[in-house]
Amino acid sequence: MDRREFLKRAAALGIGGAALLVPRSVRSVFAAARSHPGLAAVRGGEPGEMFDRGVAALGGMGRFVKKGQTVVIKPNMAWDVPPEGGANTNPALVERIVKRCLEAGASKVYAFDHTCDLWRRSYKNSGVEDAVRRAGGVAAPADSGGYYQKVSIAGGKVLKEVSVHELLLECDVFINVPVLKHHGGAGITMGMKNLMGTVWNRGEFHSKGLHQCIADISLFRRPQLTVIDAYRMMSRNGPRGTSPGDLRVLKAQILSTDIVAADTAAARIFGADPANVAYIRSAAGMGVGTMDLEALGVERIAL
Amino acid sequence: MPSDKKSSGKKKRTLGKARNILSLAVFFLFLAFFLFRAGGTASPLLPGIQAVPAAFRWWGGAAVFAVSALFAGRVYCSFLCPLGTFQEAAWRLGKQPRTGYLPGSPLRFLVLALVLVSGALGISIVPALLDPYAAFGRGAVQLLRPAAAGGINALSDFLEGRGIYGLLPHVSRIPFVPVLFWGTAAFFLLLAVWSVRRGRPFCDALCPVGTFLGLFSASPLVSVRFSGDRCTGCGSCERSCPQNCISLKERRIDADRCVLCLRCIEACPGGELSLAFAGKTESLARRGLLRSAAGGAAALAVMFWSRKKVSSATSSASSPDDRLPVSPPGSGSHGNFTKRCVACMACAAACPAGIIRPSLGEWGARGLFQPVLDYEKGYCQYSCNACGKACPTGAIIPLLLEEKQRTSIGKARFLRRNCIVRIYGTACGACSEHCPTQAMHMVPFRGGLTIPELDPSLCLGCGACENVCPAEPKAAIVSGIPVHGKIRETRDGDGGATVAPLEEFPF
Repeated sequence: MDRREFLKRAAALGIGGAALLVPRSVRSVFAAARSHPGLAAVRGGEPGEMFDRGVAALGGMGRFVKKGQTVVIKPNMAWDVPPEGGANTNPALVERIVKRCLEAGASKVYAFDHTCDLWRRSYKNSGVEDAVRRAGGVAAPADSGGYYQKVSIAGGKVLKEVSVHELLLECDVFINVPVLKHHGGAGITMGMKNLMGTVWNRGEFHSKGLHQCIADISLFRRPQLTVIDAYRMMSRNGPRGTSPGDLRVLKAQILSTDIVAADTAAARIFGADPANVAYIRSAAGMGVGTMDLEALGVERIAL
Repeated sequence: MPSDKKSSGKKKRTLGKARNILSLAVFFLFLAFFLFRAGGTASPLLPGIQAVPAAFRWWGGAAVFAVSALFAGRVYCSFLCPLGTFQEAAWRLGKQPRTGYLPGSPLRFLVLALVLVSGALGISIVPALLDPYAAFGRGAVQLLRPAAAGGINALSDFLEGRGIYGLLPHVSRIPFVPVLFWGTAAFFLLLAVWSVRRGRPFCDALCPVGTFLGLFSASPLVSVRFSGDRCTGCGSCERSCPQNCISLKERRIDADRCVLCLRCIEACPGGELSLAFAGKTESLARRGLLRSAAGGAAALAVMFWSRKKVSSATSSASSPDDRLPVSPPGSGSHGNFTKRCVACMACAAACPAGIIRPSLGEWGARGLFQPVLDYEKGYCQYSCNACGKACPTGAIIPLLLEEKQRTSIGKARFLRRNCIVRIYGTACGACSEHCPTQAMHMVPFRGGLTIPELDPSLCLGCGACENVCPAEPKAAIVSGIPVHGKIRETRDGDGGATVAPLEEFPF
């Protein structure tokens, strides 16, 4: 780092740090004053076109991905269940996101998930691996401890140390692409719960208290963009599903720069009160993001 | 006639070479089968050409092999048996001074009788231990597979370290059982040493398959013969024979021991030995023929009888906490499985989850090594039926995926006293999360929490709940069931997904 760059960085840090000192109400005024809303909700289209419309409303792909950057996309492809089963993120959505990242100049786009079922079968049968490859991305494995590095979570209440996938540590841009589902343990799974797939010791989440661990991991690295797939929503028997009767075809999508806001909106789509979802409440309390959608600015798009 | 001699020399070399290439090709096919194949597309075609699995699957399988022996003697031994090729390779590489003729050991008849009787009585440990194919399978899976997997995974790590993902995926490891590893290592080491000194000693002195085929090989249609006028008495044939079954003094080849390796024909400088058809004039050795006929008929009768009475007797094995072992999906019942399994580990090699491991007493002493499902490192994958497709004996019958997804191989129990939700009052649901049928489902508990509840009529016994349960000791455990069943039909999926476009945004 030469001197000029050092100065630039120091200045940037100073401004960033100062921004944190500004009260939230003032910050939200700034947010509202920006030309882009913090959250876009889209319905009525196919996954790819809904993404295009939503991301355009948020300021376009160029806002998130700059030339030469490496991108990690974290879909849910944890289950050996075909796309029509709704247990994994819609492959068409993932394919479109990978494509748009590369068009925006990304040098490399990775997608991975620490799967629940066997990883080879889950990557393949979810259709996501093929979708990533078709679009020119790399479906990276996450099936052994060797890919993960131990990091500490500053501010984590229960989860102080966690082993995180190395690609997440190395990437410039992190895009979180979960699917909205019922979840027997957590109630609903969406943006923050999806981050469990970036962690090796995911079993600990269950033994240490699932909700607080989900809130803690979302402190570690906040995605620049969270895209919640609610094209097919699993309304019961989640997160794996047992039959097509568990699904509701909603053709909806939530995009947000704020993971807590994204989950807040998705919980409402699910039909739940976000304030009753413990991890959303915790994360908002810890300052990961906001549950106040209006302050963030919402653009509603019906296709 | 120098030209004639030259062409016959070339012919016999070609024949010997062809046989070498063929048996090595089969050997490596089997090795690859056990080392690299993992799940999905497997078919039992390859192990199906093995004698003991064929006989276990269908008594007529033994008859087919018997008929093959009537035509060409023990051709199976030199062409198809991977353990035979292993011994011969050790012998060739060892380069020890060769012995001459040795009389056949009567021990082999005893071994065959023992195998047949215990096989008929359902004591499968005896045929399982002595079947050369199964012994080879256990050797490959126990000894070489860990190294092969380690090698592949190291290479995979190397590539991924350079950003090359997905070219060579990691392979799953089979549970490592130290006793078995060292036991198998000792067996193969001893066999290799013995082979260096004796050629194919297992084939000659122990192998029940070889002895069985030998019963039908007293006078096969095609065999290696002395032609009569070109022998110089040099002894090359005796020294080239891995079965030590050529007597130069008596100018005789023990047909029931000869495996048709063709080495003697290759070694004979004068062209005295050749592969020939039985002539019409040739008188059959009466004593040998009688012995063959009687022995062969008895052996086939025993096999026929034993196949008729496949019992569904329940397993006698029980562990302290009353948990029965789990047999693979498609095995039908513990009775069928333990009776038909030769413990070749083809299913273990095929299982993508790596949860099939050899048993050490779970099936009792008579079922030693026969596989069990071990849910410690993984669980039976809902959309997989690879083990049934790999099994050559019929111990595991291939199930269609729809069938497999309704087949119950065990029963879970939920031990509420161990559950995280009850003990710590925090949310968990890992078991229900992984349960493919929602037999384990979450019901309301105090303070807005949910706690698992089990519907046994939906439980497949796949072990997902036990495997992922974070509690210590586990709150979900699975026990095998002696006779596999079907889970209850559920109807709620019939209508398909509800299409419910949002009228407006609920925020």
